[in-house]
Amino acid sequence: MPKAIKRLIGLSCLLIVISMITFGAMNFLGDPLFNILGPVAADVDNPDSVKIIEEAKAQYHLDKSLPERWARWAWDFVQGDFGVQFSSSGQPPVSNLIKERLPRTLELMAVAQLIAVALAIPWSVLAASRANKRTDKVSTITAFAFVSIPSFAMAVILFYIFSIRLDVLPDVYNATDSFWGFTHDHRLIQLILPGFTLGLGAAAGYQRLLRTDLITTLQEDFILMARSKGVSKRRVLYYHALRPSLFSLITLLAINIGYMIGGSLVVEQYFRIPGIASAVVEATLREDFPVVLAVVMIISCGFMVFNYLADFLYSVIDPRIRTEKSGQRRKITSMGM
Amino acid sequence: MTDENHSPAEPSEMEVSEEHEHDEVSATEAGLEESGFAEKKKIGVGFWIAASWLVLITFLAIFAPVLPFKEPNQNFIVFEQKENPITGKIQDRPVQPPYSPNGDHWLGTDQDARDILSRSIHGARISLAVGALTALFGIVVGGALGMIAGYFKGILDKVISAIFLVSLSFPGLILAILVVALVDRSLITISITIGILAVAPIGRLARAQTLSFAEREFVLAAETLGAKKSRILVRELLPNVLIPMSTLAMLVIAIAIVAEGTLAFLGLSVQGSSTWGKLILTGSGLQTLESSPWVAFAPMGFLFLTVASFNYMSDRLRDFFDVREIFVTRD
Amino acid sequence: MSHETETPSTLLKLDDYRVGFRTERGLAKAVDGVSYELNSGKTLAIVGESGSGKTVLNRGIMGLLGSNINESGSVKFQGEELVNTNRQKFWGKKMAMIFQDPMTSLNPVMKVGKQVSEPLRLHQGMSRKEARHRTVELFTLVGIPEPSQRFDEYPHQLSGGMRQRVMISIALAIEPDLLIADEPTTSLDVTVQKYILDLLVEVQKESNMAMTIITHDLGVARGRADEILVMYGGRVMEHAPAETLFNEMAHPYTSALLSSIPKLDDPKHTRLTPIEGFPPDIVDGPDGCKFAARCQYAQENCLSELPDTTVKGDHSYACFYPIGTDEGAKAFASNAERGHTAAGLKIRAKEEVI
Repeated sequence: MPKAIKRLIGLSCLLIVISMITFGAMNFLGDPLFNILGPVAADVDNPDSVKIIEEAKAQYHLDKSLPERWARWAWDFVQGDFGVQFSSSGQPPVSNLIKERLPRTLELMAVAQLIAVALAIPWSVLAASRANKRTDKVSTITAFAFVSIPSFAMAVILFYIFSIRLDVLPDVYNATDSFWGFTHDHRLIQLILPGFTLGLGAAAGYQRLLRTDLITTLQEDFILMARSKGVSKRRVLYYHALRPSLFSLITLLAINIGYMIGGSLVVEQYFRIPGIASAVVEATLREDFPVVLAVVMIISCGFMVFNYLADFLYSVIDPRIRTEKSGQRRKITSMGM
Repeated sequence: MTDENHSPAEPSEMEVSEEHEHDEVSATEAGLEESGFAEKKKIGVGFWIAASWLVLITFLAIFAPVLPFKEPNQNFIVFEQKENPITGKIQDRPVQPPYSPNGDHWLGTDQDARDILSRSIHGARISLAVGALTALFGIVVGGALGMIAGYFKGILDKVISAIFLVSLSFPGLILAILVVALVDRSLITISITIGILAVAPIGRLARAQTLSFAEREFVLAAETLGAKKSRILVRELLPNVLIPMSTLAMLVIAIAIVAEGTLAFLGLSVQGSSTWGKLILTGSGLQTLESSPWVAFAPMGFLFLTVASFNYMSDRLRDFFDVREIFVTRD
Repeated sequence: MSHETETPSTLLKLDDYRVGFRTERGLAKAVDGVSYELNSGKTLAIVGESGSGKTVLNRGIMGLLGSNINESGSVKFQGEELVNTNRQKFWGKKMAMIFQDPMTSLNPVMKVGKQVSEPLRLHQGMSRKEARHRTVELFTLVGIPEPSQRFDEYPHQLSGGMRQRVMISIALAIEPDLLIADEPTTSLDVTVQKYILDLLVEVQKESNMAMTIITHDLGVARGRADEILVMYGGRVMEHAPAETLFNEMAHPYTSALLSSIPKLDDPKHTRLTPIEGFPPDIVDGPDGCKFAARCQYAQENCLSELPDTTVKGDHSYACFYPIGTDEGAKAFASNAERGHTAAGLKIRAKEEVI
């Protein structure tokens, strides 16, 4: 599999460049010494302070050149040492924070993706099977509206409807509650509102793509063939047409994980979910660089892993790719933040 | 040789009688291939509705200071004749804001009795400015890089394409937060930061367009006539790349407005002025939302209509000009 | 070929059947008044150029055209009127179709065996195992080597001929009363074409179903079809038992069609005579005979009047100046003399009547 290895190398290079940029940006734009020591860092006239500064510089290798510091950081990172949190008292390791917070964000994303896919598939099938009729037109407009609602607005709208007016869904997220269960004291239920906030917009995006692909597939001869074999309409749609139409959707699913992280910044903030996204916001505001760097790297890695996985999913869906090895992957230019 | 089976026609727009409901699966099939008419492309009424809204909101935003809107920062406290619970005297007492929408304040007021309509219109100034500046930056930088890569090819193309790739793989919003938090929260910084994120998508489109046009006869003709490369880029290629780029630029404006709103929600918006994002944030707390939902929903309406209009116009235009690439419009 | 052993049971009877597509320019008359009968155990070949309406006609009969059409006239299948009804109940049971290109008409992401066994499982209530067994049997029957291995392969792993054999086994699995084969060999290699056609006819005879072969190639019909129906511009030009048609060809279009296709027994380098011009506009077509504009025999009245169908026993044709009659000879002679037809078409130096 030389092609797969080539891609892996390419992705690793990309990760290296991303870490360099983030590392450089933080050191140019901010002042790591100040973040470690606070006001003392500026107090260069006081010999005591100077001593502390020198010690700190030595401890955090701030006296070394930028490339060397990056290399040290990268070496540690590869070994699983993400450094320490500057801004917390006692400077605990960054990995503690990530271990605590990452699972919550992953749960949120999983709930959101599930909601999105579960909505998008029947929605697209319905629209495509009635292409250009009233049902389809209404659903296209609806999808368009959902895509145009930013996640922060969606959060407010859903919160207002379901939590304030109807009062059916909980508005508090409690990180210590257990996940699995169906009462307001379980995080699964607490994640419904945040999940829909991220999931509705995503579902609309998926629907737009899947509907188009389904309509194309439905014009294929083999659909007519299946119909003439006496296969029911429903079975034709879900069994014959859906699978060959899933390519672009899978690409988008992978890419969208990246955007959901962006969306979850807002959602975690608004619904007070102490996840990785809110951690990075807090860390940025406090200029806690090791945390920011670690999270950026985790998000980038995740993004790439999912993109890489998508390639394998294609071959599961389409046997032609399996045998011919010619990935007919549809290119989707990503756009947005 | 292929008999009647040309590539099936696009599903027709025509309304269809209901008695044939059973057959929607094949409804888009067989269709009109026999007649072979290509349907004329129409931009649609929706496009003009969206355009009208954008013209209106831009006009209002630009001329807000001279138009008869209320002062956005003034507190319009209403007084009413009421018995003073301590003294027992009837006197003018302030009514507790926020006030719901009424004849005086069409969209109501916020907790400080400030006029929401006026604040939303004034908020449009900043939000639209961020969108426009971002798109401008994206088009100028992305367009230039993309056209250079597409026209000169070779090592230059490789380097620029690599830059685009890195940019697209970067968790953009986090970069934006980082820059805005570390540099400053001025309109220019925020616009350029979001603009940097728009460079790669616009640049890739410009590159692809340039690549395809660089092989066309008119460019080859100009080259054989000895035209300078810079002249070919500007006179021959730019006009052809500009249309697809501008369709994308509308999408960039929409995304920039949303991104600014997101930054506002994280407390990182333009300092000193109220944007739509900030206005929505003001009204989005539990208490405010419960007692006076209009505080959040009115500016949200403005934001939504504007974002949807840009999205829709971009969508229609890309369809109209056949700009074949799929863009993900999520924030 | 043997119309004396005619079975009395009429399976399919069309009477003035019309199909129109609603378009922006008006109604496109794809099928414009077609009548014929087809009995069980018989093979009918419908012959015509691209755009002659033969595919629409048959998809119309099957009810596969969707909802954007206008149907009128009568189509009776086993005595039941089909026009403007839902024909879904016949699909996969009493009617089956074989499409032109087996690459596009087989689902690319589904194992071929599953595609064959699907109607068995759905309509004949077979278990997975039974259906698999039957599919392998059918694969053997249509000459697919290593049938049980092929079951688990995907269409792209098979050759064109093998794919069309899979298509035929789908049709056989259905055991239909009416099988419509739409250009079943057009996309295949010439060497495979004959085998597939003979296979189709063989299984048709064995199972006593009625079959319609749609083709643009009169040669395909020859020796395989009992009857041949020649279509042009959505109308029937000529309809006769196969031998009669070839021996007593009456319509100039049939003749032109025959000389436009290569024949196996032609000497090498025989020049083919293409039919000049293009099929007529079906939305805003000519008033008279649809073929008049391209016909070497066309006279003034051909352009303005629609010829009635002349019926001579089981041979019928729609032409004012049929080949082999005095009128036809005169018409051609007068056209040859003035150098062009009434429609302005130049007469070729040599006109060959077969």
